Amino acid sequence: MSYLHINGIRKVFGDVVATDHVELEIAQGEFMTFLGPSGSGKSTTLYIVAGFQDPTAGDIRLRGQSILNIPSHKRNIGMVFQRYTLFPHLSVAENVAFPLRVRRMNRAEIDDKVRRALALVRLDGLGERMPAKMSGGQQQRVALARALVYDPPVLLMDEPLSALDKKLREEIQHEIRRIHQETGVTILYVTHDQEEALRLSDRIAVFNQGKIEQVGTGPQLYASPATRFVADFVGDSAFLSGQVQDMTGTGATLRFADGTMLRDLPLHGAGRPGGAADLMLRPERIDLTPGRGREGASLPVTVEDVTFLGNSSTISARTPWGEVLAVRLTFGHPLLGQVRRGDRLTVQWQAQDAHAFARD
Amino acid sequence: MLMNFDKLGTWRWVLAGIAVLMALFLLLPIVFIVALSFGDSRWLIFPPPGWTMRWYHELFADPRWLQSAWTSARIAVVVMVLSVILGLLASFALVRGQFRGRAVLRAFFLTPMILPVVIIAVALYAFFLRIGLNGTFTGFVAAHLIVALPFSIIAITGALKTFDPAIEDAAILCGAHPWEARARVTLPAISHGVFSAAIFSFLISWDEVVLAIFMASPTLQTLPVRVWTTLRQDLTPVIAAASTLLVLLTVVLMIVAALIRKGKSR
Repeated sequence: MSYLHINGIRKVFGDVVATDHVELEIAQGEFMTFLGPSGSGKSTTLYIVAGFQDPTAGDIRLRGQSILNIPSHKRNIGMVFQRYTLFPHLSVAENVAFPLRVRRMNRAEIDDKVRRALALVRLDGLGERMPAKMSGGQQQRVALARALVYDPPVLLMDEPLSALDKKLREEIQHEIRRIHQETGVTILYVTHDQEEALRLSDRIAVFNQGKIEQVGTGPQLYASPATRFVADFVGDSAFLSGQVQDMTGTGATLRFADGTMLRDLPLHGAGRPGGAADLMLRPERIDLTPGRGREGASLPVTVEDVTFLGNSSTISARTPWGEVLAVRLTFGHPLLGQVRRGDRLTVQWQAQDAHAFARD
Repeated sequence: MLMNFDKLGTWRWVLAGIAVLMALFLLLPIVFIVALSFGDSRWLIFPPPGWTMRWYHELFADPRWLQSAWTSARIAVVVMVLSVILGLLASFALVRGQFRGRAVLRAFFLTPMILPVVIIAVALYAFFLRIGLNGTFTGFVAAHLIVALPFSIIAITGALKTFDPAIEDAAILCGAHPWEARARVTLPAISHGVFSAAIFSFLISWDEVVLAIFMASPTLQTLPVRVWTTLRQDLTPVIAAASTLLVLLTVVLMIVAALIRKGKSR
């Protein structure tokens, strides 16, 4: 039995479907991230778990028990919000003590727990500070301490770092990882930043238009995306548009505009012979070679442009039928330094790195 | 800014002159009244030939003045309390509520500010005649509440709009019942708006004269009504003394309001 079960959640606002049959089982202590663009239903799902919104259909079960009939303030769930939500008239220590005060805990116990929570987020000694005198990063740490101080079974985080600058964001991402490991709390984390999702999560649920497209670990999503959307959203990718020529047990054959054929491609989605499909290739999973290239997993190209980016270089290469794809070569690649605009070379890849996605 | 004061050259002296004239225009009558209340001439001569505290002695010796000041204070306090409570409830609905006609409702709440007071006074007088509220404490409170409430709503909605409702949500998830969250988190966070609402409501009732003249009876008079009726019978400097005290309380409360605002922005 799963620890937290998001069971077929559907939420409709007027005639807009915000989430549609969201189904997810989360294990105790797991770090689960909802990744997706804005309006994809990830926050709505989180708010339904928090109890701020009621689902149109579906259920949320914690340890097998439905929590939908429990009001937000009795769910005992912790949450860190996107915006700064410290209580402005209370000091840091009073903010962290608030959940314990409303639970009518005794003074000594409150003091002890507050001290430990502030130590956990490395803000020892700042208890007397007022929120307005703190940086955004510090405020979010206090919010984290406040959400964890009452040992909630689940911690919800709704893009908690989106208001911070990049450097601070990475620093606090490390802190969140450490705190997750130290406390073992189950976390539901919402973000639109794939890097953040990959860095933090045990598993990622990719949301698109109110539905979960794929659930998996970061490496799974990267190596075998189930849909074109996931392929596009997680990692960099180029899509070459072709047409399904035929489909066999080993894969599909795609035909491109100039007649080039590529065989035995794994085809995702409802493809049919004659239908349009895209070949996905990731810039860092393909290679350039002056020779003929791997049989069935290569294309002749013309170099359009070379961009030096420090530890890697990006080469724009044009296919015979005129589409452009990017190739990333790491620093030290034997071809770097020799490649010039207009060179005729071959791109090649490993068979498992090419994916075809049928277009609907 | 379109204009930079420091770069205006000679024009800045002209501007400064206009500002001084405006300030004098606004303040001189009050300065005159205060000076006259200490002058020893019976006939309100300016500048006063000499100085005296006599009119203040007369003021405090006359129980009718004290009586009306006490009436004013009682009415103003009750108006203040009711205006803040109703203002809070209305503001939550106007800021947080999502219902049709919210903008219309807001405009409706603010109409007493725009409507000529004398029209409200006549209408209330006619209405209160029917239900027997003229000349009563309740009638006074109701009349003043009508004109005080818009100011209370403006002050409290202003504070509530700048308060992020996510903070209240955070308090609820922390385990506070929604009402507890509002009382322990939202209310303290918008306290500056609530204090402003209280002070303005008190002051509006405290120095309101038009409605009060309609509502007053020989036994129930507020201080401004007392000043007004005394003025029509007898031009005594005691009126200047009473007015000075009215102004004094107003100034003190305005300073308190300003300090609260400053404390908030700090």
